[in-house]
Amino acid sequence: MESGAAALGGVPAEHDHHHEHHGPPEANQSSRVEAQFLGMLLFIISEVMLFGAFFTAYFFVRVVGDAAWPAEGDHLPVVIAGVNTAILISSSFTMHWALEGARNENRAALRVGLLTTALLGLTFLVIQINEYVHIGFAPADHAQGTIFYGLTGLHGAHVFVGLTLLTFATIRAFRGHFTAKEHRGVEVPGIYWHFVDVMWIVVYATIYIL
Amino acid sequence: MVNPLGSEQEAFRFLLWVAGLVAVVVAVVLIVRAL
Repeated sequence: MESGAAALGGVPAEHDHHHEHHGPPEANQSSRVEAQFLGMLLFIISEVMLFGAFFTAYFFVRVVGDAAWPAEGDHLPVVIAGVNTAILISSSFTMHWALEGARNENRAALRVGLLTTALLGLTFLVIQINEYVHIGFAPADHAQGTIFYGLTGLHGAHVFVGLTLLTFATIRAFRGHFTAKEHRGVEVPGIYWHFVDVMWIVVYATIYIL
Repeated sequence: MVNPLGSEQEAFRFLLWVAGLVAVVVAVVLIVRAL
């Protein structure tokens, strides 16, 4: 049945509805991607380029400069960093578990998954700081040292940012936020965390192994 | 094709894919160096 106005030959119902709208007009959305996702996508793309600049310096020194890696007399703790790599990769599994918990309304999995991810990430950072303390060379010693601290430090800064996001997500999870339909606050940090882990796999392989 | 920026699930699958690829590349390089 039509509305009274339309039935009387006046303004159709849908126009009538628009006429009742108050406040500012809805924001224009020119993309099919949600603004929150788009922001994270653009941020991660810019991060890939940032890491690319650091890797360019690394390959320039090793390939073009034909410098020894690591510098003569230095030693990189490959095994300890390998264990640290396993810790970080396992944190991606717990992050994925937390997201599955959110999707399936399993609040315990969501909370424990997020908390475990944050603790594993924190463990990674503590081990890396301990590595800096005992590694025996400084960034200013040689180009290899500059690149080593630059790349691993850049990555460590990203872990710190990821931990900050995870802390907020964990607090919200324990406060009862997030549902099977609305869990963007976990999903976006999850994408970022997996990106950080992907970058570490590449950093570990190039800096420590190859 | 996996879009790592599409969702957390795809990002996770991309991570596993990269881990496998890097493991293969590292293994090949180390074997070639040893020969």
